[in-house]
Amino acid sequence: MGSESYSVEFCDVVQRFRRIRERPDTLREVFAKIIRRRHTFQVFEAIKHISFKVSKGEAVGIVGRNGSGKSTILKLAAGVYEPSEGRVTVQGTVAPLIELGAGFHYELTGRENIVLNGLLLGLTKRQIKTREERIIEFSELGDFIDSPVKQYSSGMYMRLAFSVATEVDPDILIVDEILGVGDGAFQEKCFERIRRFREAGKTILLVTHAMDQVRTLCDRVLLIRGGQLADDGLPDFVIARYEEMLGRRLPEPALQK
Amino acid sequence: MIEFVRQVRQYHELIWALALKELRVRYKRSVLGFFWALLNPLLMMLVLTVVFGTLLMRLSLPHYSIFLLSVLLPWTFFSQCLSYSVESIVNNGELLKKVRVAKLVFPVAAVVSNIINFLLSMLPLLLLILAVRFPIHWTWIYLPVPMLGLFLFTQGVSFIFATVNVFYRDVSHIIQIILQAWFYFSPIIYSLDFLPGHYRWIFRLNPLLYVLNGFRLSIYYGLLPSLPSAALSLGLGIALLAFGFAVFRRYEKRFVYYL
Repeated sequence: MGSESYSVEFCDVVQRFRRIRERPDTLREVFAKIIRRRHTFQVFEAIKHISFKVSKGEAVGIVGRNGSGKSTILKLAAGVYEPSEGRVTVQGTVAPLIELGAGFHYELTGRENIVLNGLLLGLTKRQIKTREERIIEFSELGDFIDSPVKQYSSGMYMRLAFSVATEVDPDILIVDEILGVGDGAFQEKCFERIRRFREAGKTILLVTHAMDQVRTLCDRVLLIRGGQLADDGLPDFVIARYEEMLGRRLPEPALQK
Repeated sequence: MIEFVRQVRQYHELIWALALKELRVRYKRSVLGFFWALLNPLLMMLVLTVVFGTLLMRLSLPHYSIFLLSVLLPWTFFSQCLSYSVESIVNNGELLKKVRVAKLVFPVAAVVSNIINFLLSMLPLLLLILAVRFPIHWTWIYLPVPMLGLFLFTQGVSFIFATVNVFYRDVSHIIQIILQAWFYFSPIIYSLDFLPGHYRWIFRLNPLLYVLNGFRLSIYYGLLPSLPSAALSLGLGIALLAFGFAVFRRYEKRFVYYL
């Protein structure tokens, strides 16, 4: 197999952050540090030498406890972070469903936000116009689409954001813990849409704590623990290990630091 | 520079949408809406004309209001751009942490929205000129040169301040003071001719001087600047943009960790 058949490839990836507590935030602190001649920030490794490959069309779940590094992996795949070490290769367009509606502006109407958000996610204006009606229909917003987003309920807001993000029609869909969108009926629609994505041969990376979602949607699961890949395999098997880990309440190495 | 043009072209739709959003949000829910873009410089001019033209200096300049407004408009553009763009990266931090977006779109959109504002604000100047029967000099055709110089210069400075503000938020506090000092340091309410000769060289260090001069000469005096002065007004703009964009590019990958 050529490397083209992988859509996401992590090659010995390390991601380091400076611990924010120690970050010089103001000039005063900087001066204080220059005078004292020392750098007091601590380096924190969120991801420690992770390698994995995701084939085209695979739906991969990423599980692990809070702070284990799941979201960092997604942000690396989405290109928000550049790895401190190693290499992340992504083939195809990526649509992140990481905390929906990050680009929405409260004063603008739903319709205006569709255009702005679509552009931010990399669509052209023409592409957005052809998809606009479908987005509005899927979001079930009706007349509210021409009201400013600040008047929306949180459910309406999420529905619109989900509709835009999934209409982007990416090769790779990145989903972070967002399938709690709207009421039961809408959630079912979202699931349906993600399933259709799968059937269309798109790659999916899914982070969630809801194990039943992982079981129904994913072909494969990565278990992350303390920034390292603890397991990689079939959903039932890895989930069982994860639940066992949770049951024994193994402390997260990352949290101990 | 080439990279700047390439990225702007690639993301022009997004930049345009963000700039329009900026304007729409700015004027939403105000009764006069876009008229504020026209009204603001006029009111500002009124205040300054009364204070400096009439009360303090008793300048014997004919049509002080036009003398003032011809450079006050570009200055207002410059200072508003900086006030907006200094926060442009920080304010979009939540977004930048979640979606991969070309980061330059935010400072560029801040400048573009103010360019629209600025061009709109030329309208009241024109009306004022007609109202007081001031001549419209043929030298108006020179205006695109200082305008372009001003836009490039402003964009360059915007990149620098937007970048530094990510790492040191102090910048957004200090910028108003810097702008105020810069305002009085620039020949806006006065002209360099009013100053004693041996001080003038300090004022000539002001990189905005040449651009402002171009505006005033062609609108108020009906003259063209000397060739070196014209070249400087464009050259400084290009230089600042190249430098500012280089600074921005150098640090943009690290923004996300400081937002």
